[in-house]
Amino acid sequence: MTAADALTFLLLPFAACVAFVLIHSYFGVHVLRRNVIFADLALAQLSALGATIAFAIGYAPNSLAGFSYAFVFTVIGAALLTLTRRVERFISKEAFVGILYVAATAATVLVIDRSPQGAEHVKKMLIGNILTVDVTDVTKLAVLYAAIAICHWLARRPLLAVSGEAASAGRSAVAVSLWDFFFFVSFGLVVTSSVATAGVLLVFSFLIVPAVIGSMFAHDLRPVLLIAWSVGILASAIGLAGSLVLDLPTGAAMVTTFALVLVPAGLAKALLFVSAEQARRNRATAVRAAVASLLAIIFASSCWLIANPQADQPLLAMFEHATGLGPARFLKASDRATYESADRDTMRFETEVERLNTRERVARYDGSPLADDEVRRVGSYQRTFNEMAQGERFVQQVLRGRARERERWLVGLPFALLSLLGLGIVARPLWRHRVRSS
Amino acid sequence: MLKASLCALALAIGGATGFPALAAVRIVATTSDLAALATAVGGDLVSVETIVPAAGDPEAFEPRPGDVDKIRRAEILVRVGLGYDSWLDKLLVRAGNARVMRGQAGYVDGSVGIPLLEVRGRSVVNEDGHSHGAANPHYWLDPHNAVIVTGGIAEALIRRLPEQQDRILANRAQFVNAVGERLPAWTAQAPSRAGAKFIAYHNSWPYFARRFRLDVIDFIEPKPGIAPSPAHLARLVSHGRQAQVRAVLHEPYEPVESSRFVADKLGIPVVVLATSVGSLPGTDDYFALIELNLKLLAKALGGSP
Repeated sequence: MTAADALTFLLLPFAACVAFVLIHSYFGVHVLRRNVIFADLALAQLSALGATIAFAIGYAPNSLAGFSYAFVFTVIGAALLTLTRRVERFISKEAFVGILYVAATAATVLVIDRSPQGAEHVKKMLIGNILTVDVTDVTKLAVLYAAIAICHWLARRPLLAVSGEAASAGRSAVAVSLWDFFFFVSFGLVVTSSVATAGVLLVFSFLIVPAVIGSMFAHDLRPVLLIAWSVGILASAIGLAGSLVLDLPTGAAMVTTFALVLVPAGLAKALLFVSAEQARRNRATAVRAAVASLLAIIFASSCWLIANPQADQPLLAMFEHATGLGPARFLKASDRATYESADRDTMRFETEVERLNTRERVARYDGSPLADDEVRRVGSYQRTFNEMAQGERFVQQVLRGRARERERWLVGLPFALLSLLGLGIVARPLWRHRVRSS
Repeated sequence: MLKASLCALALAIGGATGFPALAAVRIVATTSDLAALATAVGGDLVSVETIVPAAGDPEAFEPRPGDVDKIRRAEILVRVGLGYDSWLDKLLVRAGNARVMRGQAGYVDGSVGIPLLEVRGRSVVNEDGHSHGAANPHYWLDPHNAVIVTGGIAEALIRRLPEQQDRILANRAQFVNAVGERLPAWTAQAPSRAGAKFIAYHNSWPYFARRFRLDVIDFIEPKPGIAPSPAHLARLVSHGRQAQVRAVLHEPYEPVESSRFVADKLGIPVVVLATSVGSLPGTDDYFALIELNLKLLAKALGGSP
């Protein structure tokens, strides 16, 4: 695989991401102002319920009938969400939306139970398939989103007013409900199309993260959107590139990237977009907080080592892995030799299993086929080698435990004391500050 | 051959008329394939129920209360084993039916005696969140293995109905003969198929590939439920182009986008094959399952017989 080859793979997904970011960030701003964060999930799930029912009745997944069922359920969802404003006095918006979501999901499962083929839908909705969009998909999305964007631009004043705090100011209850309904129907169309392509997790990120960052730095729609769009497109590019370079599933890599983008955004907000004096104070607090959490983790880990050296020691294992300073150096010479030979043998057995696998696999189609008894023999060798490799791993585990017993006091105690001392130094100004202010 | 099977048939019919009507033995099978094999062995001596719906994904199955009831009433239980239907263990405990508990007379693990492929350890642990525990469990897709499974079922059925031994053995012999008759035609069917290379969505085909001499070079979904990474897809495409892969094999219950994507890039067809009896239309019994799959493959390879 050449780099150029892989890059052409990502052009269409990136185009789709740009389309998603442009429309979702806009809806995200509305959703944040309306405080119905999970409305997208509820609408997408209702539309999936419609699609699943259509499928269960016997329509093809991408047929007009299938789409109509999905759309009808989206409209029902929009109507129910419009109710949130009316029932707000008795039940909180988020609770209402959440109930809608779980009920729709459960109903989908019940329908699938009657037509198992539909399981594909639910799986697809969860994971999405941003990587495999084709030109027609992207064109369809672009046309649909452009149409919705034009409608929303024409109706921007009432829509913004209805989403804002003073919703009912100067409007009748019916008018507000109608605008709400229009908003949720168009929103439903957007998420239905995007969830089928990108999956619920990614769509949620497209919707919320850029809008949150935009709202951090500005208040009016235009600057908020400009920031959200730039951040969203940048995060998409980083996520896609990361999934390519690090060989990760694209959707999950992008969601993680979107979440991580919040960190630099938060730092920028605290350090750059404030007065010089405030920035200095924030910087000091940030550094102190970072050092303190690091020390706290080291302290906890050292205590854990002292308390239970045989248990999993994640921090120590990470340190060993990063530095190559294995537990072997805390063992007696004879034990160390055993530890190292166990390592070599594990590898040898695993290679052996792999070799047998390859041999059997090749014999499936090439040369004379293996008789059943030969296959059984290969299988029993594999089983034996696997068992032996497991045995060697067990030996290593026991020896590691023995090494950790020694590290307990040699490593655990000094680190615990040092980190505790450090924590004391870091926390002292805070302590003093609190005493003074009380 | 034909004569032999006719004899067996006559024997079976003779047996059926020679005895007064009995209450059918209740067999519960976890999958539709095992149910089909149990029906072949039991004939009208048995009534067979299946737990996983034919078109469902047995590795992601969620049992329901009715299934406990099925097991509670079962006299013989047939399972795939190898961790493939590991959800059954909890169900067994819940049902508390002593006849079909592990090791009892009514318990049949179909994987016993099968020449297993891709063997891991002895322990049945879901190592990578995948139901392939001790070895690859898709063994029923090789007709030879189906013969072995019917042996296990026949044994259990004879334990339950010793007086019907002849009839049961005759039924089984009929199945074995039928496989023996068809197998030469099946394996000889397509010289163009020999050594043909494929990419599969999921690792469901090693036994099928071994019997029909296919080369499945790689898989689209590296782990179930996790979408393939772009690097993996790019690797599949370049690997597939180099190896001149002829088609992408796909399971009916998996999302088709990734398979179609790879197939389009390579300019080859996606072939949706039936993984189980009843998972595609026209796979109502075991022979239809194998025949349909071979027909679909032949079509994908350009129809040359």
